[in-house]
Formats: sequence, structure tokens, C-alpha cells
Amino acid sequence: MSEQLALNARDIRKSFQIGERTIEVLHGTHLELRRGERLCLMGASGAGKSTFMHILGLLDQPTEGSVEVEGVNAWGLSVNERAKLRNQRIGFVFQFYHLLPELSAIENVVLPARIAASHGANKIDLKEINERAMEGLTRFGLSDRLTHRPSQLSGGEQQRVAIARALILDPPILIADEPTGNLDTATGKKVLDLLMEEQINRGLSMILVTHDTRLADTCDRVLTIEDGQIQSDSKFDIPH
Amino acid sequence: MYQGFLSWRFLTAKRINWVGIIGVYVGVTALILILSIMSGFLEQQRRMVRGSLAHLVVEPSPMPHIDGTPLPASSEPLQQAILADPRVESATTQLSWFSMLMQGGARGSLISTSRLSDTQSAKLVGVQIVGIDIENELRTTDLLASLQPPPAEASINQTYGYIAVENPNDPFSEPEGLEYQQPWAWCIVGQQLAIVHGLRRGSEINLGTMIPDPQTGKVRQSNRKYLVAGTFRTGENEIDLGRIYMDRRDLHDFLGTHRDYSQVLVKLHDYERDGQAVMGDLSASLVQKRLIRDAGLGELKTWEQYRGNLLGAIENEKVLMAIMLSLVLVVAGFTVFAILTMMIAEKRRDIGILAALGATPRGTMWIFLLIGFWDALLGAVGGAVTGVLAALNIDSIEQSISQALGVEIFNRDVYLFDHIPAVVDPVSVGVIVLGAFVCTLTFAAIPSWRASRMNPIDALRYE
Ligand SMILES: Nc1ncnc2c1ncn2[C@@H]1O[C@H](COP(=O)(O)OP(=O)(O)OP(=O)(O)O)[C@@H](O)[C@H]1O
Ligand SMILES: [Mg+2]
Repeated sequence: MSEQLALNARDIRKSFQIGERTIEVLHGTHLELRRGERLCLMGASGAGKSTFMHILGLLDQPTEGSVEVEGVNAWGLSVNERAKLRNQRIGFVFQFYHLLPELSAIENVVLPARIAASHGANKIDLKEINERAMEGLTRFGLSDRLTHRPSQLSGGEQQRVAIARALILDPPILIADEPTGNLDTATGKKVLDLLMEEQINRGLSMILVTHDTRLADTCDRVLTIEDGQIQSDSKFDIPH
Repeated sequence: MYQGFLSWRFLTAKRINWVGIIGVYVGVTALILILSIMSGFLEQQRRMVRGSLAHLVVEPSPMPHIDGTPLPASSEPLQQAILADPRVESATTQLSWFSMLMQGGARGSLISTSRLSDTQSAKLVGVQIVGIDIENELRTTDLLASLQPPPAEASINQTYGYIAVENPNDPFSEPEGLEYQQPWAWCIVGQQLAIVHGLRRGSEINLGTMIPDPQTGKVRQSNRKYLVAGTFRTGENEIDLGRIYMDRRDLHDFLGTHRDYSQVLVKLHDYERDGQAVMGDLSASLVQKRLIRDAGLGELKTWEQYRGNLLGAIENEKVLMAIMLSLVLVVAGFTVFAILTMMIAEKRRDIGILAALGATPRGTMWIFLLIGFWDALLGAVGGAVTGVLAALNIDSIEQSISQALGVEIFNRDVYLFDHIPAVVDPVSVGVIVLGAFVCTLTFAAIPSWRASRMNPIDALRYE
């Protein structure tokens, strides 16, 4: 059963220390992401969506609970092994694009492959990766923006570069935290279409955080986060 | 490796990094240049301090042996015993004594008086008279070099008063064209001494001295006239002002002392390698042959021991200077530290992004450490090249600066050298470059380590 899960988060608690006070944002919640599944996560602002995504993306450690990535307990690994997992199994798209300003579009896209080389796993052929990156950016309509710096790109273009970067190593899992939150409706829609297309073509296991209720229809499953808990959508949820 | 790639990008993206590179660059250049010049001066000084000495000096005690038997009157056995060692290249016997120089004689001089070197304190010009065996002497010491005419570009200080001997290989022979009726022997005098007394070739000098009689204990006066054949110049003021060389047999005849020698100078094939060993062997064998009294009394010395206090001071100076100058590198390292700290604060978000893309904390640390490495590499290599080039061309650099400013920076008369001496020691250059690396990387390590400890999420929440 668990081998079929791309992500499996159990009893996740997360609290923040602000001065003397401790604020618990997540109160022991669960999430299962099945392979090839497109999952939408909704919730009010401040509900803890980003916090949860960071935990699922192994960027942040839960105060309590476990995160399994393809059956592997991520927090039982060493720092380096976890970094490698993050590098090669999970793609992350942020609301604020988060490109490195010193690098050109194509260099940003290739960066995960360079990092992968330092993990020494599989032989990374930078030339081939470069071609793949170029091809990806061309597919996203950025063929004439390859050597532009992020500051020379529009928000929508930056986000497309960020998506290309997240997918460059062909990770099976993609986490997108409000990828269109910073874009106008038309641009956002283009970016989303692109993301959906890639999800289908690559058979990605994807979590999409969004405020857009209309998107819910296009998702396999819609979850809502409320009071620090995932409220399962009963209609779609498969009991376990 | 992405670390190398990113560190280079981060380095070139921010102009402030030049400050770090220039800091290291200036530090390394200055250190190499100044230490090279210091070494040059010290080397020059060292050569002067060694001056007329050879590698080892055997100076038998003037006292008889414990049992009352005197040491041999002739230097022959001592000389032979020393030459028996295969590591010895040559040895030369000297007889030295003190004397007072009085001027006068046949050629045009009305004054016949001794001269005060300092009229205020009534110091007499005492001179050291040294009898040498010319062939052995030339083979063993630097005398030949000090008989040579000063170089063409030499200052007036060096050329003034110079009198060439006719034949440097046989300086005590009578110069041709100067037919003297006097039977007196020829001698060579220090160049400064010649100036003080206005001596020229063929000048007549009268050397007076006192010799205690070992039997009666009475002090006997004696004097003898000599003719000046030429001058020598060692660069060491005391010697150039106070020494006269002559033939040893002649001097022994003049003095009438029991012994015909006072010391033997020894030159080795390889002093650096054999010096200490030969010292030990010689002192044992010479004591055993009863040619010296007891090596423990300092009858056997290396030239360094002979001039020990002076050399010690020179070395101390060098070490002190190096320590003080190393602070330049610390300052450069601190600049790199400050810049990196600033840069890491600015790059919080990027550090978070890298972590999100799968960079390890150690990988992040390497990025910033490598920026320090680039600073060190560019600064140190550039500085080393500039420093070495500047040291090698310091003379022309000084001259053009002097010309531009209209001030003479390096007074060639004061220093007795005709050029600024600079010795580029590859080992020192290596140590300085290494020091720059160690210093810069140590300072870079602190902010780099802190960068690796950043929580990626804290870094990413910035927007
Ligand atoms: N590092 C932190 N320190 C303190 N509080 C934090 C920290 N990170 C998150 N929080 C708090 O946790 C709560 C959830 O934040 P989170 O960013 O997860 O919300 P969100 O659901 O993503 O909201 P939005 O839709 O606006 O992005 C917020 O109240 C926030 O203030
Ligand atoms: Mg959020």
C-alpha cells in the first residue's frame, strides 16, 4: 500500500516559537499523495498551507510526526541524503518564483542538475541537461529569453522558468504553492495550463495549493485545511 | 561542481568583492616587496659582517699549555693539520697586531705626525696590521674582490680614494715605474684610511707599535716604514678605516714575536653542509695534536659565532619585521570577512532557494568559502607576481619615483651600496602566499559556516 504513495505525512504537528509564546499551526494532521494524482489544497490565508507544503517538501522539520517520500522516512535520513531526496524526487514551485538573480533563465533551470552532480548519484551530462533545459524553456514559450536575468523577465515568465527548473530532473513529485498567486488572471491561467499539461504528460504526483475554487474541478481530489487540520473532501476521498 | 560556478557568479556580480581581492593583493605585494628589500639589506649586511673572514677561524690561545709548554712558534703544523681534512678547501695563516700610523717620508711630505681620528676626543688612528700569505689568502677570503676597482656606476663615495694595485694577484710586489731606493716593503691599506691620510700610490707610512717580551715582560717599541701599493675596500667601515695588509714574513720580521701567526682562516667546500661537523672534528684533532689549548675557550669559531651578536640582531630584525607585516594579511582577511558577512545577509533568500533545490548545508558553506578562495587566489597570485616584479626592478622604480618627486629616496652614499638590494626568496614568497590563503580562508570560514547553519525556510519566507 505505502509503495503506491508518493507522499505520506502522518500526525504532523508544527509550532512556532515567537518570543515566549508557542503557536501551533498544524495540530497533528495527515496527508497521503498517491502516485500520479493531482491533489488540490485549499484554505484560508494563514491556515498553514505553506507551512504544510514546506514540511512535505522536506524544507522544514515538523515538530512532531513523520513524512515518507516514496516509502522512505525522510527525517530518518542524514542531512545529505535528505538533500539528495529533495533534489531528485521533489520539485517545488513557489508563489514568489525564487530564481537566483545572478543566473540567466537557462542557468537557473540547469541549477538542480548541477547540484545533483554534487550528490554524485547518476552521471549528469551537463550538455544534455542544457539541451533539455533549452527544449523545456522553448516549450514554455521562452526560447528568446534563455539568457535573460530574472530581473529582465515578467512575473509570468519567471514562474515558467521556475516550473522548468522544478521539472528539469524529472522528479516524480511536484509541490506548487500558489504558483499563480502573484500573477494576473490571464497570465495565471496560462501558467496553470502549462503546469497541468506537464502533470499529465509526466504522470506527476502533484499537490497544488490554490485559492481558486474553480480549479477544484480539475483536480482528482480537493483537500481543505482548517483549524490546523486537513478536512478531507468526502466525495473524492478514498478510505484507507 | 555548482559551488565553484555559483561562487564565481556571486563574486563577479558584486563589485564590492574587488575590495577583498585588492586587500589581499596589496597585502601580499607589500609583504613580498618589503621582505625582499629587507632580505637584500640583511644579506648585504651579512656579507659585510662576514667581510674579510672565511668560514672558520682558528685562533690559538696566546697562553701556553697547562703544563707550561708553549704552542708551536710556526703556523706550519696547524695549517697542515687543518688542510688534512678533505672537507677543507683552503686555509690561510694571518698574523695580526696593532699599530699606530705615522706619516712622512721622502716624497713631498713635510708633516711627520700621527693623526687623530677624532680631534675632540683625541682618539688616535690605531690600525690593525695584518700579515698574510697572499696566495693562500686570495684562495680563502674575499680579498681579491676588495682589490677590484669600483663598478662603473658606483657613487663618488666608492670611487673616491681608490688606488689600484698593479697586480691584484701579487699586491706586495713593487709597482713598475716607481723606482724607490728605499728597501721598504709594500703594503695595501683600507680605502678610508687612504683618504684620511691622503695616501697615494707610493706614499710612505711609518708604523709604530709596542711588543711585550715574553721572557722579561718588558715592552719594546718598534717601528718600520712601508710603501703604499694600493687600497682595498670591503664596505665595512671599521676595516676600511683601520686595516693594513702586508706580507706575513715581513711583518713577523718587523715584530719579532715568538709566533709567526695569530689565526688561521679556513674555507670549506660546503659550509652549510659540513660547517658544524668540521668544527667538531677539528677542535678534537687540534687539541689532541696540541696545536690549540682547548677548543672550549673559543679558539675555534665559525664566522657566524665570530660575529654572532651582529648576526643575531640582523635575524631578530627580520623576524620582527615579518611579524609586524603579517598584520597586513590579517587586515586583508578581515576585509574578506566583512564583505562575506554582508553578502550572506543579503543572500539569505538565495541560500534558502539552494537548500530547496537540494543543496546540502556543507555545499552552501563551500560556495562562500570558495568566494574567499577566489579572493585569496586572485589577490595572492596577483600580489605575488607584482611583488616579485617590483622587487626585481626596485632600483629603476625607485629612480623614476625619485625623479618624479625630485627627492632622493635611496641615498646611495649613505648605504654604501650602489643599488637597492632586493633578494627574492622563493620560499618566503611561497610562505606569504600560503599565509594569505590561510588568513583569508580562516576569516571566510566564519561567515560561510554561519551561512550553512541558516534555516532554509527562514531564508525563504523573506520576500
Ligand atoms: N517561521 C514562522 N514563525 C512564526 N510564525 C509562522 C512562521 N511560519 C508561519 N507562521 C505562522 O503560521 C501560520 C500559517 O502560515 P502559512 O504561511 O503556512 O499560511 P498560508 O496558509 O500559506 O497562508 P497564505 O494563503 O497567506 O499563504 C501563520 O499564522 C503564520 O504567521
Ligand atoms: Mg502560503
